[in-house]
Amino acid sequence: MKRILAQCKKELAQFRRDRLTLALAFILPLMTLFIFGFAIRLEAKNITLIVQDFDRSNLSQSYTERLYATNQFTPVQWNGLDPVKDGLDRGITKAAVIIPPKFNADVIAGRTSTVQVLIDGTDVNNARVIKNSLQAFTTVFVRDQNLAQSQPKITPHIRLWFNPGRQESLYIVPGVFGLILAIYPSLLAALAMSREKEQGTILQTYASSISAAELLLGKCLAYFVVAMGQAFVVIGLGCIVWRLGFAGDPTPLLIGGALFLLASVMFGLFIGVRANNRSVAVQGVATAGFLLALLLSGFIYPLSNIPFPLSLISNIVPARYFIELSRDAFVRGTGWSGVWIAPVMLLVLTFALFNLSRRILGRMQLPG
Amino acid sequence: MNIFRRLLESRFFVLAVKEISQILRNKQLIFLLVFPPTVQLLIFGFALSPSVDHLKLGVMDYSNTPMSRELTAALTANRVFDVKSMSIDESDLSNQVRRGDITAGLIIPTDFNRSLRSENNPAEVQVLIDAVDANTAGIASGYATQIINQFGQRFTPEVTPPIQTEATILYNPGLVSSWFIVPGVIGLVLNLGSSLVSTAAVVREKDTGTLEQLLMTPAAEWEIILAKVVPLFVLLLGEVMLALSVAHFIFQVPFRGSLPMFLFFSGLYACVGIGVGFLLATISKTQQQAILTSFFINLPLIQLSGAIAPVESMPKFFQILSLANPLRHYVKIARGVLLKGNGLDVLYPEAIALFCFAIALLYISTSKFRSQLN
Repeated sequence: MKRILAQCKKELAQFRRDRLTLALAFILPLMTLFIFGFAIRLEAKNITLIVQDFDRSNLSQSYTERLYATNQFTPVQWNGLDPVKDGLDRGITKAAVIIPPKFNADVIAGRTSTVQVLIDGTDVNNARVIKNSLQAFTTVFVRDQNLAQSQPKITPHIRLWFNPGRQESLYIVPGVFGLILAIYPSLLAALAMSREKEQGTILQTYASSISAAELLLGKCLAYFVVAMGQAFVVIGLGCIVWRLGFAGDPTPLLIGGALFLLASVMFGLFIGVRANNRSVAVQGVATAGFLLALLLSGFIYPLSNIPFPLSLISNIVPARYFIELSRDAFVRGTGWSGVWIAPVMLLVLTFALFNLSRRILGRMQLPG
Repeated sequence: MNIFRRLLESRFFVLAVKEISQILRNKQLIFLLVFPPTVQLLIFGFALSPSVDHLKLGVMDYSNTPMSRELTAALTANRVFDVKSMSIDESDLSNQVRRGDITAGLIIPTDFNRSLRSENNPAEVQVLIDAVDANTAGIASGYATQIINQFGQRFTPEVTPPIQTEATILYNPGLVSSWFIVPGVIGLVLNLGSSLVSTAAVVREKDTGTLEQLLMTPAAEWEIILAKVVPLFVLLLGEVMLALSVAHFIFQVPFRGSLPMFLFFSGLYACVGIGVGFLLATISKTQQQAILTSFFINLPLIQLSGAIAPVESMPKFFQILSLANPLRHYVKIARGVLLKGNGLDVLYPEAIALFCFAIALLYISTSKFRSQLN
């Protein structure tokens, strides 16, 4: 125990002395928080839309006006030869609505008039949103103008739970916490471990009587303290800026969060133990950490979208469990009954990583 | 022949050969150029899928008639929803939504069948949607409304609505999500590859002290610098070709534009990345600093590039800020060339921007590097 604490103190002293690393340890997470928190929005607001009205009747004009009044679409002007095709090609507009000639006449005569919609499909998610909302708009327009004879036979009452205003920040920001705390604590821990190997100071520890487990625990403890600091700063600021508050029992997040930080630090040490120099270690953390935490954790798109063999990997990604905990604590508020599995998995993963690293280190050590 | 011979005998050529053999001997560097990009492309392409389908649906059917079961079947018909559970009462269903076991819950009332057949009052069904994921919830509620309305139309006398929309989706008619992600990831891969490898190439020389030896050679500064840039440049173009083949053969992403033009732009972007890398390497004193600062620079470049989340969805401030991001322009070019088949007539603003970035960054970084050589 004494040796673990001594190792931890030495590690913290070394960390404090390196000013640049110290600064980056706190600036980098904050920068990531602000950029991700503000800039990742999947649903576009103010979608640019060109309406080409070949009818120019009262009906077609009110169709256009209402369309822009939905606040989802903003009009753009483009006077090319073929405004629609050209505007879409250049990315000036995301969608184009073409109202046919005789639009008004057809509707009055009881014939069906077809409005052409062209949508830029490069952004798949928004193309789908645009298509659905234009169709929904037309249905509502028909009803409002009393053009339809029949009343709907079923009225669906849709209730959105937990986030009725569908604020995307409520989904993204708790996820960003997970992403940041998956990467930066591991990065620092991996640097610390691989530095010892690169500079050869690890040989001294091999020769000393400290065991692999003690060495790991000491380093782990030190970087756990640093990670706690990062977590407080990042989560605290994030909650203030995006006005997040606990929606329910905060204890699953507190306990699970501490376990997650341990898992994150252990992951860094594991990479550090495997890598022979710092640039390899950082590459390892950057590639593995980023890919796993960003892509296989359900951070951007739901976990159920991840196809089969990859979805297996997502089960051993610590960030995935933390993001579940954090979204539950800040948005859903179910508490232990909904998320009890996450802290358990985090504990298992931490142990597994610790044991793996201890074995690798132990193998290299002199028999004592 | 003469020029060729002079090139072969020039100091530049000797230095370039040395640089190439150094790179080829460095297994780690080769690994870095081949392995991460391939893995990144594969995982990004497969895992980042914005398509919303197979949503978990819970059903509480109080009516329990053929009609109500048909409504459930209508919701699951296009695989937008999959029935995950049937509930015995409402609190059971709402608990499942609360725990996140199901994304949507459908409650069909007892008088569903009767109201459907009656003339006056419409049947009412309730749909609960878990909106923690705002994006999925929006799309799910859109689908639910649409499917339920269509189902209701079966019971009204045959009238086609007076106005119909006919949507055509251009460039990616099947809405294949990897077609959006993969061109962005090509930019991301090129960005990481170029800046990391060029940083490593300079920093290692500084760390091992071989930079001083280079100074003792009679070669001019420009020869030293060019000999460093050219092999990296060639390697990076190889990396682009590798990424393009993965995109083409694994994800079937179309290539609608011109390949030489795309390679030219990729070369320009490689110069931008090399410039960033050199700059990083010259301003940082140790390898650790170089590595951390590269994080500092590359993260925002990637986040504000539109490779992962579309630029149009960002707040105005970030949209404007992202104009100063060379990667944003490259990603736009990649999507334009691959998916839309855009040519220079459309992409010239991005091309000019990239050109300026490349010139400025190469100029600044080489002059910094040169002042260190002196």
